[in-house]
Amino acid sequence: MAITMNRRKFLQRIYQVVLAAGAAPLLSFDELLAADANPSSAGWLRPNLIWLQGASCSGCSTSFLNVEQITILDFLTYFSRVLYHPNLSTATGDQVPRILTKVAASDKPYILIMEGAIPVGMPHACMMADRPIGEWVKGLAAKASVCIAAGTCAASGGVAKMAGTLTGAASLDDFLRQRGIKTPVVNLPACPMHPEHLVYTLLHFIKSKRLPELDDARRPRQFFTHSVHERCPRYPAFQARDFALRIGEEGCLLELGCQGPVTYNDCVAIGYNGNTNNCVRAGHPCIGCAGELFPRPRLYHTHDDPKAKTGVVVKKS
Amino acid sequence: MTATRITIDPLTRVEGHLKFETRIENGVVASARTSGMLFRGIEKALIGYDPRTALQLTQRVCGVCPYAHAEAAALALEDAMGIRPNANGQLLRNLIVGAYQVQDCLFHFYQLSALDFIDVTTVLDYRGADPGLNTMRDWVRNETRSQRIFPAAPFLPAYKGNVSKDKEYSLSAVRNYLESFAVMADLHKMVALFGGKSPHPVAIEAGGVTTRPTIGNLAQYRTLLNRVERFVHSCYREDILAVAKAFPAYFKEGRGYGNFLSFPYFPDASGKNHFFAGGATIAGKHTVLDLNAITEDHTYSYYKNKAGQGIKPLGANRLEPLDWQEFQREEQREDGKYSWSRAPRYGGKVMETGAAARVVNTYHAGRNPALRKLVDRLNRDLGIGLKDYNSVLGRHLSRYITVSLLINRLKEQVEQVEPGVLGFSEKEIPRNVRGIGITEASRGALGHWVKIDNKGLIENYEMVMPTTWNMGPRDASGQPGAVEQMLIGTRIVDPANPLELARIVRSADPCVACSVH
Repeated sequence: MAITMNRRKFLQRIYQVVLAAGAAPLLSFDELLAADANPSSAGWLRPNLIWLQGASCSGCSTSFLNVEQITILDFLTYFSRVLYHPNLSTATGDQVPRILTKVAASDKPYILIMEGAIPVGMPHACMMADRPIGEWVKGLAAKASVCIAAGTCAASGGVAKMAGTLTGAASLDDFLRQRGIKTPVVNLPACPMHPEHLVYTLLHFIKSKRLPELDDARRPRQFFTHSVHERCPRYPAFQARDFALRIGEEGCLLELGCQGPVTYNDCVAIGYNGNTNNCVRAGHPCIGCAGELFPRPRLYHTHDDPKAKTGVVVKKS
Repeated sequence: MTATRITIDPLTRVEGHLKFETRIENGVVASARTSGMLFRGIEKALIGYDPRTALQLTQRVCGVCPYAHAEAAALALEDAMGIRPNANGQLLRNLIVGAYQVQDCLFHFYQLSALDFIDVTTVLDYRGADPGLNTMRDWVRNETRSQRIFPAAPFLPAYKGNVSKDKEYSLSAVRNYLESFAVMADLHKMVALFGGKSPHPVAIEAGGVTTRPTIGNLAQYRTLLNRVERFVHSCYREDILAVAKAFPAYFKEGRGYGNFLSFPYFPDASGKNHFFAGGATIAGKHTVLDLNAITEDHTYSYYKNKAGQGIKPLGANRLEPLDWQEFQREEQREDGKYSWSRAPRYGGKVMETGAAARVVNTYHAGRNPALRKLVDRLNRDLGIGLKDYNSVLGRHLSRYITVSLLINRLKEQVEQVEPGVLGFSEKEIPRNVRGIGITEASRGALGHWVKIDNKGLIENYEMVMPTTWNMGPRDASGQPGAVEQMLIGTRIVDPANPLELARIVRSADPCVACSVH
């Protein structure tokens, strides 16, 4: 198939996202052209996606829709085939269990994206089509090529698992391990999930048929190697022991409860919303939203808060 | 007489896990049950946490309208502290929540609702030059010819039904559906400029907003706002009016009780003189707001505690969720409990909340000439009256009215911000106090109640949510919830494709993660 000028322009636009996601070493523009001309031989196949929501808030879905380097139209028509998404699908009611059951029963490969945690202790706390969400996850994850835990709730429990909750919420990885399901999981923590992280992970998988290099917590090293603190624009102030004692001051925000040193994410480097801003630039201490212990019982506090010295322990019966 | 049951589980294109059931007699809905099917128990979990964490964590109740929880939680804590932000703090907070409210209304119309009124395959006939529509046409053509599993997902399959025959309108709606993603990303950038990120902006704290306004970020906000304004006044306005003209019957469909509750929303720089008035309109009569009239019933909600008298805010923390066996028993019972959502009542009455309530109450309060003028003009053009806002299209139209007026306020207020001046002042957490914060989320009246103990930690926290008002179940006296009432009396053309029901439920924009939390 000859590639027309329009098509070439279109592919140039597509390639912008490859560059933005840092995937250029994996895929050159020429390879993309070749793949477009002959999808099967070049190994460029739009993966089928199933997106499920457990104990979630849809925040990772809305965050994903903000993705900039690629239009949602390109995502739906070129990069992937979104067989089911709770907020996008026109399918509703009994059409939904029919889709999910048919996909799980077919021999077509697909990727499962899980948003939210799974309430294991109280399966009835999250029901879909008269079945606990865990049963849907179990059935679909077992046959998926790979599972992606989108956001902190799916990656480590997050707010759904905060101390004091009663539902016994589990992360996707824990849930699958408890059930002996061996499908590989990629964790993309952050509250909300960073859209570029998902696009990169999918692209990597589409192109190389394997997952990007992961750390011990099954997070792509590309994004989660450095702490927020290490890359913080206020790091020089920390080195000079110049600490802000009030919001609005210039120094390092550690005295105000910043969780940058214990939080691993590249948000300070790439920002949110197309690098419009990030929490530290907004003058706010990091709340550790990509950390495994998010949410801690104390986030931002005043520098002289007596609880800052003793710590807060949430005692729950 | 023929009776059938229609169950829709899950209803997609809403936030969260929503199920509803209707019993149809002679083609008409005789009774309805709406169920929120996700329980996380976040209010109860907050006990023992530092009160400031509530500003971040209650946002995680909902990733679609987190800003409103940040605002309500900040107002509650400021109420407990006895402080109010300075002018810049108030204005920046307004710029964040205003942009987010606009984003949420566009999200609801384009992503969640518009596809119910059109046939996406209309693009197959497209012959024009719009690149988005061309991509879409080629894709739909290739997909539908292919042997793939579920071709043209996620746009197919869909309920078949009475959709617009007007090709031009359908194409415009598809084009704007695609265009709106970029507009919503712009609105999220406006939120992030002062909020840090979006969803879940961090910078709203008790005492103001932590971001220092600069000439630069204000200019960027203004630029993005101008772009959004063009989309709202051309595309969104035209699409709303086109639906209203194509489906006039939907100004009669989805009628509820007609009782409207809203909270004061969008103050000026002093934190007073709210642009949208609060209040309650019951049987056409508008009264001032009385927060003491609010109670929550849990007769049909999945909790162990004996039901009876409604519980006042800050009383619901003693509710214990059902265990698995009890849940199964209730599911088997004919008249069993059927939702995680509680059933809020106002003086015992079921109230609808949301854009229509906001518009009707503000109209009745009579202190907002801009709103009155816009409503009067739209009513004249469409041949409707204020009573027709109690309908599917009335709710969609009210969201447009909110957005259109908010854009003008944002344009005024962005000019009032003084660059360089921090809009934040901190105060220590007080001991043994209570606070209340009320505002309007996109979906309507939102209240946060907080009680702080003698160590300065949360002793009790409660949120009464818009979707709990709208989507809550029946109460002890058997009164159906607001949306249940909207469904009753609806004629179903084809029980296999109950598009009418989906349109009615979506018109109330349910957010289930919020409603149960």
